[in-house]
Amino acid sequence: MRKSVVRGVAAAAIALLTLTACSQRSEDTATAGGSAESGAGFPADSLIGVALPAKTSENWVLAGDLFTDGLKEAGFQSDVQYAGSSTTVADQQSQIQAMVTKGAKVIVIGATDAAQLSTQVEAAKDAGAVVIAYDRLIKNTQGVDYYVAYDNFKVGELQGQALLDGMKAKKPEGPYTIELFSGSPDDNNSAVFFDGAMSVLKPAIDSGDVVVGSGQTEIKQTATDGWKAENAQRRMDSLLTSTYSSKTLDGVLSPNDTLARAIITSIKGAGKPIPVVTGQDSEVESVKSIMAGEQYSTINKDTRNLVKQTIQMVKDLQAGKQPQINDTKSYDNGVKVVPAYLLPPQIVTKDNAAEAYANDPTLAPLTK
Amino acid sequence: MSRVKELQKSLFGGNTSNARQFGMIFTLVAIVLLFEILTGGLTLNPGNLISLVSQYSYILLLAIGMLMVIVAGHIDLSVGSVAAFVGIVVAQVMQDYAVPWFLAVLIGLAVGAVIGAWQGFWVAYVGVPAFIVTLAGMMLFRGGNQFIGNANTIPVPEGFRVIGSGFLPEVGPDTGYNNLTLLLGLVVCVAVVVREWRGRRTRREMGADAAPMWISVIRVAVPLAVIVFATLQFAGGRVGTSFPVSGIILGVLVVIYSFITRNTAGGRHIYAVGGNARAAELSGVKLKRVNFMVMMNMSVLAALAGMIFVARSAASGPQDGIGWELDAIAAVFIGGAAVSGGLGTISGSIVGGLVMAVLNNGLQLLGVGSDRVQIIKGLVLLLAVAFDVYNKKQGRFSVIDSLMRPFRRDTPTGPASSSEAGQERGKSPVAG
Amino acid sequence: MRDAPVLLEMRAITKEFPGVKALSDVNLVVRQGEIHAIAGENGAGKSTLMKVLSGVHPYGSYTGQILYEGTESRFADIRASEHAGIVIIHQELALVPGLSITENIFLGNEPRRGGVIDWKTANRRALELMALVGLEEDPDTLIKDIGVGKQQLVEIAKAFAKNVKLLILDEPTAALNETDSRHLLDLLRDFRQRGITSIIISHKLNEIAEIADAITILRDGHTIETLDVKADGVDEDRIVRGMVGRELHSRFPDHTPDIGEVFFEVRDWTVRHPVASDRLVAKNASFTVRRGEIVGFAGLMGAGRTELAMSVFGRSYGVYVSGQIIKDGREIVIKSVSDAIEHGLAYVSEDRKSIGLNLLDDIKTSVVAAKLSKITKRGVIDHVREHQAAESYRSSLRVKAPTVDEPVTTLSGGNQQKVVLAKWMFTDPDLLILDEPTRGIDVGAKYEIYGIIQRLADQGKGVIVISSELPELIGLCDRIYTVFEGTITGDIPRRDADPELLLKQMTSVKKAQRS
Repeated sequence: MRKSVVRGVAAAAIALLTLTACSQRSEDTATAGGSAESGAGFPADSLIGVALPAKTSENWVLAGDLFTDGLKEAGFQSDVQYAGSSTTVADQQSQIQAMVTKGAKVIVIGATDAAQLSTQVEAAKDAGAVVIAYDRLIKNTQGVDYYVAYDNFKVGELQGQALLDGMKAKKPEGPYTIELFSGSPDDNNSAVFFDGAMSVLKPAIDSGDVVVGSGQTEIKQTATDGWKAENAQRRMDSLLTSTYSSKTLDGVLSPNDTLARAIITSIKGAGKPIPVVTGQDSEVESVKSIMAGEQYSTINKDTRNLVKQTIQMVKDLQAGKQPQINDTKSYDNGVKVVPAYLLPPQIVTKDNAAEAYANDPTLAPLTK
Repeated sequence: MSRVKELQKSLFGGNTSNARQFGMIFTLVAIVLLFEILTGGLTLNPGNLISLVSQYSYILLLAIGMLMVIVAGHIDLSVGSVAAFVGIVVAQVMQDYAVPWFLAVLIGLAVGAVIGAWQGFWVAYVGVPAFIVTLAGMMLFRGGNQFIGNANTIPVPEGFRVIGSGFLPEVGPDTGYNNLTLLLGLVVCVAVVVREWRGRRTRREMGADAAPMWISVIRVAVPLAVIVFATLQFAGGRVGTSFPVSGIILGVLVVIYSFITRNTAGGRHIYAVGGNARAAELSGVKLKRVNFMVMMNMSVLAALAGMIFVARSAASGPQDGIGWELDAIAAVFIGGAAVSGGLGTISGSIVGGLVMAVLNNGLQLLGVGSDRVQIIKGLVLLLAVAFDVYNKKQGRFSVIDSLMRPFRRDTPTGPASSSEAGQERGKSPVAG
Repeated sequence: MRDAPVLLEMRAITKEFPGVKALSDVNLVVRQGEIHAIAGENGAGKSTLMKVLSGVHPYGSYTGQILYEGTESRFADIRASEHAGIVIIHQELALVPGLSITENIFLGNEPRRGGVIDWKTANRRALELMALVGLEEDPDTLIKDIGVGKQQLVEIAKAFAKNVKLLILDEPTAALNETDSRHLLDLLRDFRQRGITSIIISHKLNEIAEIADAITILRDGHTIETLDVKADGVDEDRIVRGMVGRELHSRFPDHTPDIGEVFFEVRDWTVRHPVASDRLVAKNASFTVRRGEIVGFAGLMGAGRTELAMSVFGRSYGVYVSGQIIKDGREIVIKSVSDAIEHGLAYVSEDRKSIGLNLLDDIKTSVVAAKLSKITKRGVIDHVREHQAAESYRSSLRVKAPTVDEPVTTLSGGNQQKVVLAKWMFTDPDLLILDEPTRGIDVGAKYEIYGIIQRLADQGKGVIVISSELPELIGLCDRIYTVFEGTITGDIPRRDADPELLLKQMTSVKKAQRS
């Protein structure tokens, strides 16, 4: 018996050694494919990975479809993935890892949690892929190469301005009572929107022309976990009970359309008149709502343009060119300043909706 | 049929949950091969195997604890929240107090133990069903996570990240492989051989006929081949990567807990309590202590899993741990545990967890969206358990099987059964 | 009776399970209005035959013919057979504890009007049916609040609610005490008067001999014979001969007791009910056990025998109030089951399936379960020693199983009981308490269990046997205590013990202790 043990061990050792001889371990696969900086480009039919968050808003679904079509049109192979609805972060991590395994040359990431992807992004980088952060900046990693997004500080400014304009149009004289909502605290953009809006609202609040009824002006107090409509609705419900049983609410700053509609639903449920509510994303339901005179404004960050711009960057990378960027100092992710291309957003109210959505096949009919 | 069964018995051991495992191992191999073909060889490529291990080690870690909870007849719904809570606590102490990472790990485990003691107290000493206690825990510690972290994502320092995204370092001469991984593979190979050899010795001591030599050879050769292959794949990944540290943590815990559940009095008490709590109590098993320990152990493992995930993600976030309990529970049931408790093995749960992991990974490599992946995983869970239920009804491979079948008189497997039977006839007073 | 028309004829029934023939070529003829007993050892095929008859094993899963009321019946399921008036009452009662008597009687068969349960009719009919079976209770009482005997009657009332023509009772008196058993047997006679046909399966051969008109004996899945009780002058021994295929000389092995000094004594043991704190389940109970002595505990169902035994065994029942345990001249304090085991006590419970064994275990795991410390070293189990220990009990107790790796569920009742005995013998006890050690076990196995008990006593251990069967206590025990309402009412040596005296003591509080 002892003999067979020895024999087994010996066999295993020999097997290991013989196979060792024919190792083909690579130092770095990047050398084979070429990296972003080398300017060598890569084959035109390479795989491009796109990892997007869970399908919680129409925009992500639309972006996914546009990426699939656009990349195909440009001759690339594409792998477009959404994170699952419950296990979002873990899902996205493994999806990115799978794209790396499959040898994607460029990976476009719309992060679910921008601070929890550094391991995967670095793995992608090590494997020679270029990482483009789409819409949300990926934090705390050297691995992210570019950032493409609408100018989100500008979005916030436009929202703040629209809120003031809308209230003035309804009721020429202040003071106005408002409530503030901000996005999910794990989304880098939430603070940017909020700060942008506050840059406009702060002077009005300080002068007493605008009053935040509940006194909740901190971003932590106004946050909406996971960008979930139910959370916003719940908060609005309690605000109405605690603060607005007798007072009138003139306006609500909402960071996006999904939350805006949730807020309106809550207010309607309480039987109160609908105040001026801002939004963002030009979601179908919200455009309908604006045309019906309920929601006041939204932001047109045409996903088409953003996707188009991203695909343009991918094409540039493929050709070995430096992609176009227009901001090299604003976006510090904690360890590096990420070169960015920012697109300008557009505010949309009932007045300019027809004009703003003229080129959008889904939204244009709604504005007529 | 009986021939197949005999073979199965000699290769995998006799009892029924092993038989179920036998089926699951084949399923796993089939799924691996299927995806290997469908993905054009990506599934078994070093990079993918490495990421597979680091992606799922924390879920498998939870499956170990969950197996013991389920065997004891309970359930733990709070593991995801506990993991997230511990993750944020650890991240926060490292950020605010500059606690060194290894101390932070100990703090994390301690927090897990305290949470486990809390849940164990309610389950064992107050008698609140574990479903309720851990449902409460699920909300409690999810809220705790958000309370402490303000729903922010808190990054963790580089040193801490080793437990989640670290690899065995490159040492020694350039062999073209990661040397430590090769060494690890060799150690595992030796362990497999020694284990089989000792198994044969034990069977001989019991007076049972040891299985024929060729069966032992198969029992050693097949795992050896798999281990050698895996070792080379893991050691042959991109330089700087190798077998992940989290995988080593998992492996060590699997070995330890398998030993505990199979070979210690404490482990056997868990099965006794889950199989028939009253009977166990009347046999002198300290019911409350067993329940307490099982619940507490689960939370400690959840704490560890949470920390590994945080280390891998480089940050602790508000969405950590959501849905983990379900993955762990699914792994345990796919791995052959009984819903009513008392049955199941650690290795079975690991195989069950791997089936889910490979499925998930393979579908992602194929570019299948997470919506469809979830649908497929749901169906697999249902079918795996339904298949077992069906088999039970058919009287195959299962406990019910043995219920329906009076013992076979012609079974030759019994040690010294023929001589005993002779005695029996001779002595029996009723036989006159 | 034998010339009455045939109600049921089962012809050449053969039923196979994977790997085993449970019934082969079984024939059964039941005549209108008779009580027909089916006798046979465990595993002889009685229950399988009844399952074939009642459609649990549907038509097509067996071969052979069932002629019922003159036509061939092919039942697809239980509903079909019930529709034809065949109702089976299983050993494990199919009642819902949280529902009332009325609700249980009409469960699945509720009188309805327009889809809604007609409670008025239900209650009226429930009262009629309860009167029929002699059950005096408020029909709104919950099942869990009435005793087993009355539950049995509810089952029968339930059968009548379905217009039963052929009533099948599987071990109807197994769980009943003497009085309730009597009542049930009288009821069956009453049904016979009304022309209802019954089939009864029972291990209690005296009951069968007393009540049945005809007895069909099965052995190993074959019909051995059908006896006409009156014509053939059948007695218990005759039935046993048919069942085991040979004469059984005595129901108890010969034994000469070798009794030593008193080594175990319980004094003034008082225990409260676990829930109803004003109720005492044991009141100042005192008893002694000598080395080598087999002591019986006789009492009616609910007299507190089991409760007394379990509370002594590590306070595993009720709330301890007062009392002392003295072993080998010293007082010992036992607060938990593990203490009890440590002090050399063993308790073999009356219900081996629900609290005696873990049915998921194999034989070897069961045998060592109560004293793992004997086979562990620093907490680690020595599988070789485990196997050897189990193997030695398997052979010495003659457990019929090929290996000790066999799951306990594959064993017959008698062999399971041997495994439970082995489990407790493995703890090296000085005192074994055996609660209904032969319940549900067939004649041959009973004899073997008696032998094991006697051998244990001969080894100098004390043995307490709790049993509802008085002949068993009288045949086996050296001394018998009678228990009534938690109090010990009598201490009767073997030579004085007879059923009449025991029954008297079991039903009266009057102290008749003579120590």
